[in-house]
Amino acid sequence: MKEARRVWLTPAYVLHHHAYRETSRIVEAFTADHGRLSLFARGAAGPKARLAPLLRPFQRLLLSWSGRGEACRLVDAELDGPAPALPPRRLMSGFYLNELLLKLTVRGDPNPAIFEAYAGTLRALAGDGEEAASLRRFEKRLLGEIGYGLQLTRTGEGRPIEPTMYYRFQPDKGPEACVADAPGAVYGRSLADLADDLLEDPRSLRDAKRVLRAALDACLDGRALATRRIMAGLRPRERG
Amino acid sequence: MKYTPALARLIEALRCLPGVGPKSAQRMAFHLLERDRDGGRRLGQALAEAIESVGHCERCRMLSEERVCPICASESRNAGLLCVVESPADVVAIEQSGGFRGHYFVLMGHLSPLDGVGPAELGLDEFERRLAAGGIAEVILATNPTAEGEATAHYLGEIALRHGLKASRIAHGVPVGGELEYVDGGTLAHALAGRTAVT
Repeated sequence: MKEARRVWLTPAYVLHHHAYRETSRIVEAFTADHGRLSLFARGAAGPKARLAPLLRPFQRLLLSWSGRGEACRLVDAELDGPAPALPPRRLMSGFYLNELLLKLTVRGDPNPAIFEAYAGTLRALAGDGEEAASLRRFEKRLLGEIGYGLQLTRTGEGRPIEPTMYYRFQPDKGPEACVADAPGAVYGRSLADLADDLLEDPRSLRDAKRVLRAALDACLDGRALATRRIMAGLRPRERG
Repeated sequence: MKYTPALARLIEALRCLPGVGPKSAQRMAFHLLERDRDGGRRLGQALAEAIESVGHCERCRMLSEERVCPICASESRNAGLLCVVESPADVVAIEQSGGFRGHYFVLMGHLSPLDGVGPAELGLDEFERRLAAGGIAEVILATNPTAEGEATAHYLGEIALRHGLKASRIAHGVPVGGELEYVDGGTLAHALAGRTAVT
């Protein structure tokens, strides 16, 4: 089946954008119904650009475009409801989410569940949601949706996870029992908490980060996340 | 159509200018050679001189052929006010507004994590040294009101506050002479949040 030539007002977010020539932009958009795609936004930069203030990351939009495949032209953009903006101190987390989507989703492969998870995470970050826990829940959901769901309730050999034991998490094999001071060891209880999305306990949250990081690194297959490096460079500059 | 080597080189060289494609480059080259050889000569000399001599001011990173640019060297400006902007064009825009008599710090960009532009590329170490050197009372964060510009302003603000300095963000709101009906929602929200009391 051929894709429609014109798409009207579909829910979307801008993940990234590049200047193109003097007055145009290439927008990397993430949509619920059409997945991730590049849109050529002619005349969307510079003093007379009506769309410039709209085409910003973390803002839920309704985008209309024409064309198919790699050469779609943005026709119009509208705000989709009064979305609260991310507070400046949480923008870097937003960029991190965007980089995960850019590196781990395939172009043109719609996944409404990832879209909703992303929208929900942005709402949590814009509101009172706990920052680190929101990011971990999104990472887990994303991994599950792209086919790398975490095995958290049984070890690689199929034994149930004991809450008071320690495990080393290996992305390809699942958890493996180990001693408490082994490098990368996580608590059994933390694995159960991550399986149930319970991330209030500081240890569970810290262990969840360790597990998800190992799983994400395996998916990224050697590609580094630029946002991670830049966050590490910025952190010491913040106040305590 | 095949150009002679010198003409081909000129056309190719002109294409490094923003927004200039093969057609415009050809038109410019023909204009200079047919109608304005003096202008072309002046352009060539000015370009060669500027490329050789213009570097960055060691205090504010603005383009300058002196070690310290005229704004930083000026005695009559308020050295206690430091305005941080993204680009030299922003310095020019603020200077033309005539409303600011302090000093600048030019980042030459903004935080752009997805493109790998971070603290090192923006000279944040230089910025910290400038603040640590003393004499500054207030840092004005005049990065663009984009997501990247806001993130940049946040970290600059953190640095300024860590140095015990006052930090302020430029106001965003309804443009002078604008009409509310045509202002986008995000801008209006900022304008309402940043309202000022009538006295």
